[in-house]
Amino acid sequence: MKRIGVFICHCGANIASVVDVKKVAETAKSFPGVVYATDYQYMCSDPGQELIRKAVKEHRLDRVVVASCSPRLHEPTFRKTVASVGINPYLFEMANIREQCAWVHSKDKEGATIKAIDLVRTAVAKVGKNVPLFASTISVTKKALVIGAGIAGMQAAIDIADAGYKVVLVDREPTIGGNMVKLDKTFPTLDCSA
Amino acid sequence: MVAAAQHPQIELLTYSEIENISGYVGNFEVKIRKKARSVDPLKCTGCGTCWGKCPTRVDSEFDLGLGKRKAIYLPFPQAVPAVPVIDREHCRHFTKGKCGICEKLCPAKAIDFNQKDEIITEKFGAIIIATGYDLLKWEEVYGEYGYGKYPDVITGMHFERLNNASGPTKGQILRPSDNKSPETVVFIKCVGSRDDARGKSYCSRACCMYTAKHVHQVLEKIPNSQAIVFYMDVRTPGKAYEEFYKRSVDEGAVYIRGRVSRIFQEGDKLIVRGEDTLLGRQVEVKADMVVLATAMIPSKGWDVLSKMTNVSTDKDGFFQEAHPKLRPVETFTAGVFLAGACQGPKDIPDTVSQASAAAVKVCQLFTKDEMATDPMVASVDESLCSGCGMCENICPYKAIEIKTITERIAGKQISRRVSSVNKGLCQGCGTCSVACPSGAMNLNGFTNEQILAEVDAICL
Repeated sequence: MKRIGVFICHCGANIASVVDVKKVAETAKSFPGVVYATDYQYMCSDPGQELIRKAVKEHRLDRVVVASCSPRLHEPTFRKTVASVGINPYLFEMANIREQCAWVHSKDKEGATIKAIDLVRTAVAKVGKNVPLFASTISVTKKALVIGAGIAGMQAAIDIADAGYKVVLVDREPTIGGNMVKLDKTFPTLDCSA
Repeated sequence: MVAAAQHPQIELLTYSEIENISGYVGNFEVKIRKKARSVDPLKCTGCGTCWGKCPTRVDSEFDLGLGKRKAIYLPFPQAVPAVPVIDREHCRHFTKGKCGICEKLCPAKAIDFNQKDEIITEKFGAIIIATGYDLLKWEEVYGEYGYGKYPDVITGMHFERLNNASGPTKGQILRPSDNKSPETVVFIKCVGSRDDARGKSYCSRACCMYTAKHVHQVLEKIPNSQAIVFYMDVRTPGKAYEEFYKRSVDEGAVYIRGRVSRIFQEGDKLIVRGEDTLLGRQVEVKADMVVLATAMIPSKGWDVLSKMTNVSTDKDGFFQEAHPKLRPVETFTAGVFLAGACQGPKDIPDTVSQASAAAVKVCQLFTKDEMATDPMVASVDESLCSGCGMCENICPYKAIEIKTITERIAGKQISRRVSSVNKGLCQGCGTCSVACPSGAMNLNGFTNEQILAEVDAICL
């Protein structure tokens, strides 16, 4: 039996002023596998993350859904949160009820709430099918190739080399320097470019 | 430049081109073509006897045709390495089978006419693309400026060469047509930039500032000179930039807001006819020289490199960063980073910042002996895979190969072809799982079962 926890974020007024977050959390409690659902002002804040950790322990959750912003922003945050209380980070799903709901349906609060419920429903359905995933490792050759030896390539090569790593700096011209060495003095300091 | 050349950790491969890139983050394998210099760099002392005596003179690419070079040449005096190359297209030994004077006179016996291109293969953990920019070929589009037929209508880069102490005029600003010092110099900004109709839609970002610099240099170097700038807007959003521009105005530069409609020759003067949109009237300037601030475009060969690295470009050919705000130096190909104008027009301060940022990203990668890979990559269910190869053909990252496996079925050994995914190359885009006709290919974390569970949750 899966034990899924659902956490609905207000994102201040960003989500809560459009979506009825209480209703979404209440409805989520009835979804298959969900044993706990709640809402909070800022899930990504320290107290928000602590709320998730406490709920995982108290309700013995094994999967987590957070309904908040785009996963591009805080998916890494919440994956770490669940991992810190022993849940595989890939047994976590995010429902985007901000960019893909509240922000684009700000004039239709009722419709936005229905959509938010649907988005949470799909995330819950998916997280139920998730399996733990594990990162594998690959070796790293500690040598960099820089293509182009103008000011960009030279600066990058010097910085990497100063950190102690080997660099091969390639240029198709007979000399390094690129466009930069053709210039006379350079703005705004008027120092020499060569 | 000297710092890069003398760094013990940096190996320079000049006169070299990338032939092929394979592999993945941490483990790239790169073929590099070292073009034949026809000079042995280990023997050459850079003494200059060869180019001093070479009888062939051709236009110098480095000086944009404003000066001459020999067939065996250093692009400029401080070139690094100080080892000349023979331009085989023009060298008499290669074109006519005669001459060979450089070989005879070289005290180090460094000339090697038989040298061949050499292809080397090396392994790298990370790649930085720093291929820079070219300038738009204005002569092909701007008829009103004379399509390049007036020698004294030049680009900002030509002006740099004229102004450079080691350039063709030893730093004197002289007209290319008659080597006379110009009195009235007209500058035209946004030539090809911010011009949807004939040029590029974007702003090239460095021109307002280098034009202000050119104006300052004209007024400083040429007594009783006049500098007139035709502009659309003056854009100086950088630290100490606005002050720099203001100084050029205080020094006496005349800024006229408007476009130039025509340039034509009258005697030894160039008549520049344009509009002053602030005063609402036509203006005509008798100029001695006109300098065009032409648009930056991606450096030649960007399309080939884009295919080799799997890094996409924008509509104009500038390499695409992974995120315009949050991942400005990374690309969607793990382990490949961007620095400088190859990502978009940039000035030197911005280029240097971005280059250091890209270097930090590389160092980040190198601080660990092994790196963790994202487990959300494609995986094959070999029992379902028919080995049709659809996924192999469609994969944008060349991460899928067909391999042969041997199974025991009903007591018989059977060999068959199945797909296999290279986890280092796979970027988790999911294209293969959509293409797979038998449902054998799945993206971990987005399996068909997971996606259908979502669909069911809404539809059922």
